[in-house]
Amino acid sequence: MVKITPEEITVTDFAVREHRSLWGDAWKRLLSSNTARLGMFIVVLFVSSATFSHYFWKYEPKKDLDYSLKLKAPIFIPTEEIPSVHPFGTDKLGRDIFRRVVHGGWNSLRVGIVAVGISLFFGGTIGLLSGFYETVTMTTTERLVLFGTAGFLMGSLSAWIADQYFQLILYAGLGLAAGYYQDLFKGKFLRMVTFGILGALFSAVPGLFISPTVAVICGLWGLLSGVLLSRPLDGKFFSNVMMRLMDIVLSFPGYLLAIAIVAFLGPGLGKGMIAIGVVGIPIYARLTRSVVLAIIHKEYILAAQSVGESHGRIIFRHITPNILSPIIVQTTMGLASAILSAAALGFLGLGAIPPEPEWGAMLGESYRYLTSGAWWAVMFPGLAIMLSVLGFNLLGDGLRDALDPKLRT
Amino acid sequence: MIRYIFQRILSVLPTLIGVTFVIFMFQRLIPGDPAIAMLGEHATDESIERIREQLGLNRPLFLDREALVDGDLQGFFDSQYMRYMARLSRLDLGDSIHRRIPVMETLKLRFPATVELSLLSMIIAVIIGIPVGIVSASRRNTAIDSISMVGSLIGVSMPIFWLGIMEIMLFAVILQWLPAGARLSTGIEIESITNLVLIDSLITGNMEGFVDAISHIAMPAVALATIPMGIIARMTRSSMLDVLQEDYIRTAKAKGLGGRLVLFRHALKNAALPVVTIIGLQAGTLLAGAVLTETIFSWPGIGRWIYDAILGRDYPIVQGGTLLIAIVFLGVNFLVDILYALLDPRIRYK
Repeated sequence: MVKITPEEITVTDFAVREHRSLWGDAWKRLLSSNTARLGMFIVVLFVSSATFSHYFWKYEPKKDLDYSLKLKAPIFIPTEEIPSVHPFGTDKLGRDIFRRVVHGGWNSLRVGIVAVGISLFFGGTIGLLSGFYETVTMTTTERLVLFGTAGFLMGSLSAWIADQYFQLILYAGLGLAAGYYQDLFKGKFLRMVTFGILGALFSAVPGLFISPTVAVICGLWGLLSGVLLSRPLDGKFFSNVMMRLMDIVLSFPGYLLAIAIVAFLGPGLGKGMIAIGVVGIPIYARLTRSVVLAIIHKEYILAAQSVGESHGRIIFRHITPNILSPIIVQTTMGLASAILSAAALGFLGLGAIPPEPEWGAMLGESYRYLTSGAWWAVMFPGLAIMLSVLGFNLLGDGLRDALDPKLRT
Repeated sequence: MIRYIFQRILSVLPTLIGVTFVIFMFQRLIPGDPAIAMLGEHATDESIERIREQLGLNRPLFLDREALVDGDLQGFFDSQYMRYMARLSRLDLGDSIHRRIPVMETLKLRFPATVELSLLSMIIAVIIGIPVGIVSASRRNTAIDSISMVGSLIGVSMPIFWLGIMEIMLFAVILQWLPAGARLSTGIEIESITNLVLIDSLITGNMEGFVDAISHIAMPAVALATIPMGIIARMTRSSMLDVLQEDYIRTAKAKGLGGRLVLFRHALKNAALPVVTIIGLQAGTLLAGAVLTETIFSWPGIGRWIYDAILGRDYPIVQGGTLLIAIVFLGVNFLVDILYALLDPRIRYK
């Protein structure tokens, strides 16, 4: 018979359970997943090797050239013929591919991070504001800003046609007036007529000084603008306009749009970052908007509103922290796709300018001498792209599982 | 339902107009004068001016305010954009600047090549992706599940241009089993009916042509299929897992129905919605995003063509090609929306 002494039993006090925070919990769950650990390992490996080599392992791409070592297969033990070690072989200019892959990581990862930063900043802001004002009623000041801006934007056409830039102020003023006197003839046809006529007058009278036809066209535009401004525009209107704009960007295939932007800006690493960043904006805008809409009716938002907290404070203190998890997941996955797009641009010759090492550009160069049978010149840069992208994707997957509150017990 | 379709059409229209606007703007903003591109650096000023006049490049972009000041209302609207829209309404996409052939004609030849490639890729992706997802979901947390999920994640992370190069390296350079590029070998001729060589060769009973076409399309189609395959497998798995937790699945099992019957009859049907959506989205992206694959395999489709045109400043091709892609993309999304409403009546009545 087994004897148990009291010392061997540990008593767990359920009442004073150790405090666990959301993030601490998520971290533990992340570490408990094999695939997430693998992803984290890959990401850390790539980020640290790229950073370390950039600062401590000097490489000057412009001087790296040695025709005597042209297209050597991977070699691990120095011989008389080849006195140096090249674990990944050498390329057509006799450059060590291992060295270029490690240094190329700095460029590829940097493009990814900056591009995602651009998409996240603009997309996140647009999504946050759209989602918030779609449901929450605007304050008077905010409404005035919306109406003023709307008036100003509409006025720009008329101002340009008549070449009278003071019309901008007239239109903005009309917008402000429509925003301020929301109750004037509320819900009546008269309201539309009043603002329509005001708009037509504001535009047509100055236009008369240029020519009668200008006055007619500006007057018509003013009428249209006035009628639109007489409507009770609100956050929903703003959100609709923004989401339609995002739809337009989304209806272009990503690569093609990025290529077109780079063609417009000119090739180069920095331009590539901007192109990939712009293409990603709608994804973040839509995601942010949808998560904001999902939490906006929660009690704590209502509570914050009812104690009179300002909209800015609600957005920053209550909404932002609570929508972070899906955004973090999307950002991690977004890094993966940004690295992939950056490599694609580089491959097409629109990214880094040679001889600067960058994975996609390296592939694009070695692709040209494919028939020479130098498999190592295309193998390793591509493997680096795939592994780093896989690392971020694995990490993103793991983060999604770790941050999913449904799994919290 | 008709009301819903009508609503969807109305909401697509402004997007479509916005798309024509952006396409028009973009190509005009790209630096470089197409008149100079056509005539070369050494052209005289007069000939450049004449070409600009011919192409309408001397007109203002959107509206001519000077004409309006002179009281010329028609001149006010006679701008590059308005002319572009007027031509579009006649389905005239203009002529290629360099080759002087109508864009529409080349499009008719090149678009089927892209359609054929992306359709075949989509078929491969669906045939492999969905079963992998189902198996993963039904054997959750087993070795099979882990392997297929890491596998599909590798698919999602695949730089397809690299995969394409590796395929060429292995099958065309080292093993010499498959041709490295183009759509057909020289000397092989297939009567064109649909312009999809695989189908044409089957209809005309041209087996030699069919085999040749298959051997050309195999590598690009597999390369292009990797990413959607991974995405479809992952989507199928997560959607199946959601459905498998539902009460009616437990009920079906409690009734004593066999595992396979529950899986296919009850679970798969209800898990299909998100999968259909993702297939639609991917089909649109594929059709459009074949630029890289077409570049590597010298596939005579529209992706490669538009890319060359962007670099060569051939505005009409860029505008026509991009517009077609955007329309196809919007059209596919529209169809997915309708299909969704057909499958799930709740959406119609919202």
